[in-house]
Amino acid sequence: MIVKVNNEEVRIFKGASVKHALLRYILRIKADVSNIEKLQVKDCKGHQIDQDAPLKEGDSITVKL
Amino acid sequence: MKRLLYLFVILSFIAAGCSQKKGNNYIRASYKTDIHIVSGNDIHGAIENMPMLAAAVDSLRAIDKSLLVLSAGDNRTGNPLNDLYTIPAFPMVALMNYIGFDASTFGNHEFDSDQPLLSKLVTLSNFPYICANVFPDAELGIQNIPYKFFDVKGVKVCVLGVVQLGIQGTPDSNPDHLKGIRFEGVEETINKYLYLRDQCDVFILLSHIGYEDDCAMAEKFPQFDLIVGGHTHTQIEGGELHNGVLITQNVNKLQRVTHTILTVENGKVTGKRAENIEIASSKNKNPFVAQIVEKFSDNPELKRVLAVATAPFSTYEELGLLMCDALKEMTHSEIGFTNMGGVRYDTHPKGDFTVDDVLRLDPFGNGVVIMELTPKEIEDMLIACFYADRNRFPYTSGIKCDVEYTANAKNEPEKVVKLTLTTDDGKPLDPNKKYKVAGNAYAVTVSDSPREDEGREFGSISSDLLIKFLTEKKQINYSGRRCLTEHIVK
Repeated sequence: MIVKVNNEEVRIFKGASVKHALLRYILRIKADVSNIEKLQVKDCKGHQIDQDAPLKEGDSITVKL
Repeated sequence: MKRLLYLFVILSFIAAGCSQKKGNNYIRASYKTDIHIVSGNDIHGAIENMPMLAAAVDSLRAIDKSLLVLSAGDNRTGNPLNDLYTIPAFPMVALMNYIGFDASTFGNHEFDSDQPLLSKLVTLSNFPYICANVFPDAELGIQNIPYKFFDVKGVKVCVLGVVQLGIQGTPDSNPDHLKGIRFEGVEETINKYLYLRDQCDVFILLSHIGYEDDCAMAEKFPQFDLIVGGHTHTQIEGGELHNGVLITQNVNKLQRVTHTILTVENGKVTGKRAENIEIASSKNKNPFVAQIVEKFSDNPELKRVLAVATAPFSTYEELGLLMCDALKEMTHSEIGFTNMGGVRYDTHPKGDFTVDDVLRLDPFGNGVVIMELTPKEIEDMLIACFYADRNRFPYTSGIKCDVEYTANAKNEPEKVVKLTLTTDDGKPLDPNKKYKVAGNAYAVTVSDSPREDEGREFGSISSDLLIKFLTEKKQINYSGRRCLTEHIVK
C-alpha cells in the first residue's frame, strides 16, 4: 500500500503501523533513526497519533525531524 | 392530610422523574442530570497502567457513582505479561472486571485470540462485548451483543458497538481466528439499529473503526449523541463535534482516557463536554489493583518449557536459523528471514527452552509480513537488509546464502559484490518462480528494495510463532547448522 509521510509517498506492506512507514521514510532520507520512538507524529488533521497506530492505503502522516 | 401529602409526594416524583411518554411505550426522563462517562481505547494489554486508571475511576465514582466505564476495543495485544498469561489476555479482563467496566466493543485485536480463547475471555468478562457487526457461529460460544441499554440515574443510555473491517471485509487480524465468524459493514449495521434512537435518551456509538470513519459516521448519522472511538490511536483533545456528534479517542496503552459529561434534560442531550485525563503519567494508584498487577507480572507462564534443546546453541546464526524456521514453517512459507540485529543473544545451553528464553531472544513484538517474491527480488531485499542492519547479512531458512563482500579498513564487510542463493539441497532458485517469503516486520521494513509485492501483515507477532514452533517440535538441535557463507574479497 502507499501512504504519505511528510507528503512523500512511501510504499509499505499492508497492515503496517505508523512506526513502519516512519522507519522506511527516515531511512530513505538518510536521517537519524536512533530516537525514532520519541518522534511526535500527526495525522492529516493534525491530531497526535502514536507509532503503533495502524495505517491504511492513502493515509498521510507528518513528523518533525 | 397525611394521606394527601403522601399522594402529592408520589405525584411529584412521577412528574419529576419519568413523565413524557414517547414512541415504543418508552418513558423519557424529564429532569436535568449529568451523565458521566470514562472511556479508554486501544489499551493493548497495558496492565501496568491499570492501577492509575482504577484510581481515576475511583475519584470520578466518588463524584457520580453512576459513572459509565467503556472501552472502545483492542484491550489485548502488546504486552507479553498479558498476552502470554496462562489464559492469554486474562490479566486485562480480570483488571477490567475489578475496575468495573460497563462494556467493551471488540477491536480487531480481540481476534488475535483464537475462537475458543475469545469465547473464554468473553465468558470471563463481567461486562458485555457490544458489537453489532460480528456474528460468530453459535457453536463457537462467543457471546457478543449488538447493543445495550443502561439506566443511568433514570436516563436511558443506549450503546451500540461496531468494529473495523479491512478491505477483505474482516477485522485486521489472523484470518484463521476469523473462521466461523461473519462480519457486516459498519454503515449497513448502524442503519439497521437507528430505531434505537427513539428508545433512549442518550445514543452512543462505541466504535473501533478509527477517527476518519467516526467522522464519516457522525456526518451520516447525527442521531448519535456521542461516538466513543478507537483503532487509529488518535489523540483528540477533549472531544470534537462533528455534525453535532461528539467524538472522543486517545492514543494507545492508557496514556490518557476521556471523561465525557452529557447533560440530559427532558429526555434530550442539551450539553456535551469532554476532557482528557492523564493515566500513564499519573502518580495516583489504586493500591489493590497495583497488587493484582504485581501478581500478574510474576507470570509463571514465562517459565513454561516449550521444547528441549538436545544440543547447545553457540552462535547468532544457529539462533537466527531457529527464528527463521519458525517464521517459515508457521506461516507455511518457503523462505523465512530475519535481520541479524533481531537475534538478541548468541548462546543457549542444552536443555529447556522456555517462554522467557523466546521473549529475550525476540523481545520486540514485531509483526510478521508475507510476500511473494522472485529470486531477484529476494536477493535485492537481503542485500538491502544487510546495508540497513549495519552491514550484517540477514539469516534465512529455506535458502542458503553465499555472499562476497569488499572490506573496509578494519577488514569488515563493506559492500556486497556477489550473492548466490541456493535451496537447502544446493540447487539454484527457479528464476521464473515467485517464492512465498516470511520476514519479521522490522526486517521487511528496513529492506527497502524494488519489489512488486510489498507484502501483507500475517496477523501474529514473530515471538508467538516461535513459541508455537517450539511447542510443536518438542526437541530441537541446531548445533552446527548454517544458512550463510561469507567471504571477503580483495
